[in-house]
Amino acid sequence: MMMLIIFVGIFGLITSDNLIKKIMCLSIIENTMILNFIRAGFREEAAAPFLITPDAVTVDPIPQALMLTAIVIGVCFNALAVACIVRLHHTTGTILVSDIHEL
Amino acid sequence: MMNPENLIFLPVALPLAGAAAAFCAKAWCTGSLAKITEYGGALIGLALPWAFLAAVLPVIATGGVVEGVIGRWYEGIGITFRFDGLSWLVMVLIYSVTTAAWIYSLGAGPRNASFSAVYLILVSALSATIMTTDVFNLFVCLEMAGITSYVLIASSGKPGAALASFSYLLISASSMVFFLLGVYGLYRLTGALSYEGIAQGLQSLPDGGGTAAVVSLALMIAAVSVRVAVMPVSGWLPDAHALAPHAVSAVLSGVLIKVPLFALARVMLLMPAGMQAGALIGYAGAFTALFGVILALSQKDAKRLLAYHSISQIGYVVSAWGAAVHVGVTTPAGAALMAASFLHGLYHAMFKGLLFLSIGTTVDRTGQRDVYQLRGAARILRSGGERIPVTCICFFIGALAISAIPPFNGYVSKTALSHVLSGSFHYYLLTAAGVGTAASFIKLSRIYWPQKQGGEHSAARGRTPASVYISQLFLGGLCIAGGISASAVFAMVVNLLSASGAPVPEVAFYSSANMLKALLTVAAGLILFLLTATKKGGALLTTIRTRPRGFQDLFISFSLAAAVLVIWML
Repeated sequence: MMMLIIFVGIFGLITSDNLIKKIMCLSIIENTMILNFIRAGFREEAAAPFLITPDAVTVDPIPQALMLTAIVIGVCFNALAVACIVRLHHTTGTILVSDIHEL
Repeated sequence: MMNPENLIFLPVALPLAGAAAAFCAKAWCTGSLAKITEYGGALIGLALPWAFLAAVLPVIATGGVVEGVIGRWYEGIGITFRFDGLSWLVMVLIYSVTTAAWIYSLGAGPRNASFSAVYLILVSALSATIMTTDVFNLFVCLEMAGITSYVLIASSGKPGAALASFSYLLISASSMVFFLLGVYGLYRLTGALSYEGIAQGLQSLPDGGGTAAVVSLALMIAAVSVRVAVMPVSGWLPDAHALAPHAVSAVLSGVLIKVPLFALARVMLLMPAGMQAGALIGYAGAFTALFGVILALSQKDAKRLLAYHSISQIGYVVSAWGAAVHVGVTTPAGAALMAASFLHGLYHAMFKGLLFLSIGTTVDRTGQRDVYQLRGAARILRSGGERIPVTCICFFIGALAISAIPPFNGYVSKTALSHVLSGSFHYYLLTAAGVGTAASFIKLSRIYWPQKQGGEHSAARGRTPASVYISQLFLGGLCIAGGISASAVFAMVVNLLSASGAPVPEVAFYSSANMLKALLTVAAGLILFLLTATKKGGALLTTIRTRPRGFQDLFISFSLAAAVLVIWML
């Protein structure tokens, strides 16, 4: 299932002509990877890994900690990419790759 | 406080502190106070680490390895940094080029506090990349270096820069997602993230983790290869490096493409599958060296020509690096290969930085980037107030170094490379690439030749600032010093890289056979240049130059590269 969503993202990344759509596809791939990690640490009927007694069963906290970092990085990417697109739109007046290459 | 465990965070912390100062200068200060705060920040971030490097050298030179856990967490929980000979050497590379390029940016722009701040964050991220010892922290450091470099590329304000930055961002962000997938695979298999933890975990598994481990490792290697710009995943580099501000181009070409490579070596050397992958990457590097130079020879934009040379030269570095990873750095042959690879990486950073800066000054002064159009640049530079032709001399130092002419540093590192690789398949490809390098720098140096007709290019107004000359002379001096002190530097690099004290191979750098080879390479380069200057040669170059390129190709080649890696390692 995860692989399927990733392939949707990659397909969109390659075929779409619109820069905004490319960014959306990149977000899809990134978020799939984040879900993937969280699922790896998941255990049924386990508690959240904070304020616990020593013998409590918890989900694996490491993937969650890693993915918080990855989400922050993803947000930076999106912000920066959108800033680049705004700049491109100012100079070229378009956000389509094919139009930009013609100019 | 003064024990080495606490000191090793300084190369990361100092540039970050400097960046904070530069941001403060932008946010709250005005006038001369802002300048003082910004320059103070740069001094903290770029000059103080040199004192640190000098202070730890006695510990490192005797084979010492310093480890520290951030925030004094328990080992295995906190983020661990390791400072060893490799870290020391790579930091010398980082700080020598970034210091020179920052000084250059004072004169030639972009001159503002936010540029300095982002630049210092990049320096900090690069230092962290080489010291990190776990795969997730490696991911974070690579992303940090990546994000800052996209900002710096876009900061030039040239029309294409935003698009170049965007396509670099897109390909590198999507490849880093696959790096994360590799991290996920290894974490699932071993439950560890540190390099050693993963290696031990894989060893205890039946057949070393099998296909899953190989695929995970291949994804990580392929993702880092995008950053290193090994062919076939180097397509993003020329636009990004050619359109960035000159000072940023120097850092991107000199430093940013090499640090991830040496950081990756730490992971790969711990795993049998990784060492096997080294051989394949070595071959890819040798082909990169040759094809990169063919593409470089066909370019007409001066900075784009240099950018393609970066691909070609990183091919030299990677081919010896791959061979070293394949045999392991604990063997004497592997240590010599790794030392030669690093030496070329270091010297390339110096002469390529110098070339980008001097060509940058030239194209700014003359307002012309086309190699076929621009002539008489030396005269235009002189009319811009340059009484001693510093820029011109510095360009020729760089050009002679990259074409491997004694006594400049490129000659030394290329001789070391051909000594350690002699007889192998790589050797012949690299020799052929050397001919192409000489040819394309004969082509590029024609922009300084005197003009036949009257001057049609008008020089830019105003004088060239002194900081431009200082940074160029600094790198030029390093190029000459590196060439003259060849044996000493090579012995030092071998010693620092092999903690076990491998014997230093005797390389006769200035033997008559090696000098003759350099001479023959240049002669062949001259013939090649004359061939390309003919009508047929010119048509061929135009065909190569105008071949279509796109984001799709990059993505497909990334997938292919990862697939081939998996098949090779299985």
